[in-house]
Amino acid sequence: MFYRETGQFKTSYQADMAVFPIRQDRIGLALILLAAFVVIPFFGSDFIISSVMIPFLVFSLAAIGLNILTGYTGLISLGTAAFMGVGAYACYKLTTFFPNINIIVLILVSGLFSAAVGVLFGLPSLRIKGFYLAVATLAAQFFLQWCFVRVPWLFNYNASGAIEVPQRTLFDIPITGALASPETRYFVCLGLVVVLTWFASNLLHGRIGRSWMAVRDMDIAAELMGIRLLNTKLLAFAVSSFYCGVAGAMMIFLWYGGGEAADVFSIRLSFNILFMVIIGGLGSLVGSFFGAAFLASLPTIMKFGLPAIGVPLAGATAEHVTFMLVGALIIFFLIVEPHGLARLWQIGKQKLRTWPFPY
Amino acid sequence: MRAPGTVAAGETLLAVENVSLRFGGVKAITDVSFDIRKGEIRAIIGPNGAGKTSMLNCINGFYYPQEGRITFKGETRRRMRPYVAASQGIARTFQNVALFKGMSTLDNIMAGRTLKMNRGFFWQLLRYGPAMAEEIEHRKVVEEIIDFLQIEHIRKVPVGKLPYGLQKRVELARALAMEPELLLLDEPMAGMNLEEKEDMCRFILDVNQQYGTTIALIEHDMGVVMDLSDRVVVLEYGRKIADGTPEAVKRDQRVIDAYLGVAH
Amino acid sequence: MDTLYAVFIDPFMQMGSAPDLLVQTLWEGLVAGVLYALIALGFVLIFKASGVFNFAQGIMVVFAALTLVGLYEKGVPAWIAVFLTLGVMFLLAVTIERVVLRPLVNQPDIILFMATFGITYFLIGFGESLFGGNPKQMIAGELGLPRGAVEMKMLGGFVSFQKIDIAAAIIASAMIAGLAVFFQYTRIGRALRAVADSHKAALSVGISLNQIWVIVWFAAGIVALVTGIMWGARSDVSFALEIVALKALPVLILGGFTSVPGAIVGGLLIGVGEKLGEFYWGPLIGGGIESWLAYFIALAFLLFRPQGLFGDKIIERI
Repeated sequence: MFYRETGQFKTSYQADMAVFPIRQDRIGLALILLAAFVVIPFFGSDFIISSVMIPFLVFSLAAIGLNILTGYTGLISLGTAAFMGVGAYACYKLTTFFPNINIIVLILVSGLFSAAVGVLFGLPSLRIKGFYLAVATLAAQFFLQWCFVRVPWLFNYNASGAIEVPQRTLFDIPITGALASPETRYFVCLGLVVVLTWFASNLLHGRIGRSWMAVRDMDIAAELMGIRLLNTKLLAFAVSSFYCGVAGAMMIFLWYGGGEAADVFSIRLSFNILFMVIIGGLGSLVGSFFGAAFLASLPTIMKFGLPAIGVPLAGATAEHVTFMLVGALIIFFLIVEPHGLARLWQIGKQKLRTWPFPY
Repeated sequence: MRAPGTVAAGETLLAVENVSLRFGGVKAITDVSFDIRKGEIRAIIGPNGAGKTSMLNCINGFYYPQEGRITFKGETRRRMRPYVAASQGIARTFQNVALFKGMSTLDNIMAGRTLKMNRGFFWQLLRYGPAMAEEIEHRKVVEEIIDFLQIEHIRKVPVGKLPYGLQKRVELARALAMEPELLLLDEPMAGMNLEEKEDMCRFILDVNQQYGTTIALIEHDMGVVMDLSDRVVVLEYGRKIADGTPEAVKRDQRVIDAYLGVAH
Repeated sequence: MDTLYAVFIDPFMQMGSAPDLLVQTLWEGLVAGVLYALIALGFVLIFKASGVFNFAQGIMVVFAALTLVGLYEKGVPAWIAVFLTLGVMFLLAVTIERVVLRPLVNQPDIILFMATFGITYFLIGFGESLFGGNPKQMIAGELGLPRGAVEMKMLGGFVSFQKIDIAAAIIASAMIAGLAVFFQYTRIGRALRAVADSHKAALSVGISLNQIWVIVWFAAGIVALVTGIMWGARSDVSFALEIVALKALPVLILGGFTSVPGAIVGGLLIGVGEKLGEFYWGPLIGGGIESWLAYFIALAFLLFRPQGLFGDKIIERI
């Protein structure tokens, strides 16, 4: 009833082209940001922040990255985790070489390394389409994962082969390393995700986003209209890998706090990110968040939620059931709503807009 | 609205000389020559499989003919990437609608402006200042085209949901957004009812007269072809069998044989 | 110079100086190749008939093998367990057709492809909750498969052939021949090829799409069971196979998605290429290159022949 656009007249093209043309949407966004920046850090428990919210943010960013490539440009990738890994290892090497540069800058710069690797593995995309391209990205996945294990330079010749996250500060507050509190790590993640999401939204609403979608929907027609396929696809690979790389660096430095990164960036993770994109909605930014929220919270819900309502589940069984559930949900979504949660959200909004007289 | 071209009205805009195209052993086009003059409406007709669409594909660089030359605005070439053709001012529509189905009408037409937009990546990231000004500038042009083709009401509708006739119109709008010098229309009226055909004819004539766009069109409806076109070229089995004014072509014995069959 | 020597000359010197080792490596490669080819065969069957790129084929192999072993552990005699497993695979085919394929008719290929991801995950979860996540021993002996190895003296050394591998090669060839005959000469086979060409056209001449789908998915299930038995007899039955099964993708790229001979040749090529690469070139860069070499072979190949070994040149139309 409060969700109406009546009386909001657009008097300029600029107003009509705004990302959120309806006032209530803008208010809603402000409320969400307020909750994310104020309510959660001050009222959420450490557990919620470090094992639900931070994973959610990291996955959201990776899902946005994959969505740019798969959802918007129509190039399937099964190598997301590897590109995330490139970001993580690049960040580790950068912190070793430039200990005095702020870690947030380094996290962003490591995304550039990931982008470069992404472009390299995106090169075949000009000649290869569809499933074939999926195999090219599998090459990236397995080759890079092999590098993470076999090239000791990447992990500074540690005996354990693990990344050790050093302590780095911002305004004397530790944001990485053992002393960093969940709240500060959360704030850093949130800041990065908000800014990068805004950038992604800008790109997608402009000329570049349109070229990506044109290539996705009908590549031949796009080419005949003067869109250069190779440039467009490589740009998609670069931007997508940048997002994945930053997400990977965040994952190790702000979430895990170190560890056997080579195992983390496995093909399973690639699949998981892909599922987030499918369930959330291919070709939808907000869907990336929905998908990430859904899959990031599912294990926690299975582990803690079900026993709480009286369904006892052993740890291993919970994991298996999660697998089954994820599989079933993917099929369910593809059948019922191939555009995922994002489309359901849109339909809901549309209903609300015309309620109570839908005709 | 459009910068004057280098070719004056009435002179040859595009010349196709001795073009042959093969797929393996299949000869799609054999030794075809014709020209398109600036400002005219040129029809390409012929029975199914005569190589009409292949001809258009050669003209805008999608296929490479094995032999022959194509000269556009005085520049001769044999091989050319499609985007070069597009940037030189050749736009087209497709036999089976090739719209970007997931995008709205507006975005489809805006995509037609891609070549004219040049704000770089970093302004795009911010979507502010010059990038926004550019968007608005092109939006105005697109709105004019939308207005011209009377598709205001479907501006924000995803084109996948539109009926066929409207999709064809959106496709024309997208091609017009490129402000082409040469517009290739591949069966713009296929599958339309009489009313839609009449609308489309009017749009084609208007485009030709208002914007001075040269048009090459493939069409099966002979009435439409005879009414619209200034000159007609007829293909059969990949060869040119006639070329001239609609009246002359209509009387040509080989054309009559090709369409009605030859008595044996 | 040293690097060039190590890459381009030394490996071949090694091959020349120890031909028995070369033969052994080739054999290992062929054996691995047969298994890749079998998994790829399952893909091809389904792709031909339904245009679905069945990502779940690898997991169907594991699932079939697990079911077989699981039933045997419950006390079912080995051969009866095989038939029961076939029954399970049939049920699986029917379920997939009902629950997944039928509602997704006429969706874009990519959606169906993603749906098979869903099937994969569901089967992983389902299999693990039924049979547990621990690796199991295949009941090769009980099924009358031979054990042990044949040592042959040749080329100045010994080459050993596992009997089970020989059996695998024979059984695989027999099965492929049987399938070829089935598809070429029976009514169902002809219907199936019609469906492969066009769903709508096949429907319009009265071919039951649903029936055909069940048949091909069941056929792929049979192939999966055979693959699972062979594979399980060489190593354990576990979900680790999931990763190995992905190797069928480069095989398909080499052979083309719709060609049965292509799947076989591609499988053998990838298997041999991978083992040779690992054995002779792997040590140069630290070993373990088996994990990605196959993908790079396929990728390099794709750049020169995007349509695969046996595919026709693709003409794009608009």
